[in-house]
Amino acid sequence: MADLKAQIIEQLNLQEVKPEDIGNDQPLFKEGLGLDSIDALELIVLLQQHYGIRIANPEQGPEIFQSVRTMATYITAQQKQPG
Amino acid sequence: MNIYIQGMGCVSPQQTAAEGPFLAEIREYEGNRLKVLDPDYKQWIPDANTMRRMGRVVKMGIGAAKLSLQHAGIEMPDAIITGTAYGCLADTGVFLTRMIQRQESALSPTPFIQSTHNTVSGQIALLLGCHAYNSTFVHKGFSFESALLDSIMLLREKTEQQILIGGVDEITDHSHTILSRFGLYKQEPVRNTALLQSTTKGTIAGEGAAFFVLGTTKGAVKLTGLDTLYKPASQQEVSSAIQGFLATHRLSTADIDLLITGRNGNAGEDAAYTQLTQTLFPQTAAAAFKHLCGEYPTASAFAMWMGAQIIQQQQAPAGILYSGTAPQQLNRILIYNQYQGTHHALILLEKA
Repeated sequence: MADLKAQIIEQLNLQEVKPEDIGNDQPLFKEGLGLDSIDALELIVLLQQHYGIRIANPEQGPEIFQSVRTMATYITAQQKQPG
Repeated sequence: MNIYIQGMGCVSPQQTAAEGPFLAEIREYEGNRLKVLDPDYKQWIPDANTMRRMGRVVKMGIGAAKLSLQHAGIEMPDAIITGTAYGCLADTGVFLTRMIQRQESALSPTPFIQSTHNTVSGQIALLLGCHAYNSTFVHKGFSFESALLDSIMLLREKTEQQILIGGVDEITDHSHTILSRFGLYKQEPVRNTALLQSTTKGTIAGEGAAFFVLGTTKGAVKLTGLDTLYKPASQQEVSSAIQGFLATHRLSTADIDLLITGRNGNAGEDAAYTQLTQTLFPQTAAAAFKHLCGEYPTASAFAMWMGAQIIQQQQAPAGILYSGTAPQQLNRILIYNQYQGTHHALILLEKA
């Protein structure tokens, strides 16, 4: 999850935020890390770019991007799926 | 109707955004590229989420705009007008590079959103909550002059009271490399403080933002005139244009206390400035500014900021003088700038 946090920081240009500043279960949006809708698009791009994952159903977005842990769980599940 | 400069702000490779004496010390640079001295932008852009998406040119523009509003003592202008030739070049570069690297898929939205030329003007408006007239002029070496002309026309039509107007451009690694291939910049080592004595081709790249609050109620400096001349056929045409411009304002060359030229160390272009000053302004003190900010399409905005500061403070710092001695009374300044030999501009400033 440390790698994923570093990728999020780089993708979103979160200046002055370090990977250890982001809690595994901390909400990414609103009161948590304070991300917004443009960041959601950036996170979709991140999944595609780093993990080759395309989110087929946009309605899954809020669930996937709830926290770093939910993102990591989703990535792991997608990677386990047969090609 | 008189138009006054009521406020001004500048972010440049010199210490222009910080409190302190006006250009008392000229910052020295080695190499053919001058970079803006970034002030602490957090003072003007408190929201970290907004700031992290902004490119450098947007922050430079906001810094200069906020300084000029602060100087004018107002919070909300009646219009925002910006001139920029390159726009948000860094974000454009990022977006295009990723298009190639990622074969036109998985493109990040932020650099695309931020890459348009009107992002600077738009972000200033968003930050101020200003819903008024907002326009950006993109006309190469006349970008700032076009924005200025629009401001003058709006004020003369009395549609707006106080206009925030500025010029802004940035240089990036990509653009510096490309423009270097065109032979715009010096190939040999150069120091900006020795630029004006150079005898070789090319100049130094620059960048910066200068903004002004213009209005019709009295300020310290009057913006008396503006004129542009595109691709003049000869030096004689330039001389005639300058004399005609001054005559329009019932002035002659002898009435100018200080001439600010766009001399940039490029031997070919500087020869034209020399000929002009020797024939038209033999007795007039001459100053320069591109050794301070570098060459870029909206550098005349820096010149206007410098000219207005000179009149307001009644002082021409030693580091800007190229020839002659500045008179004690600095009531009238003519700025003559040309960009790449094609875009010639005249700005006349007077003490109010």
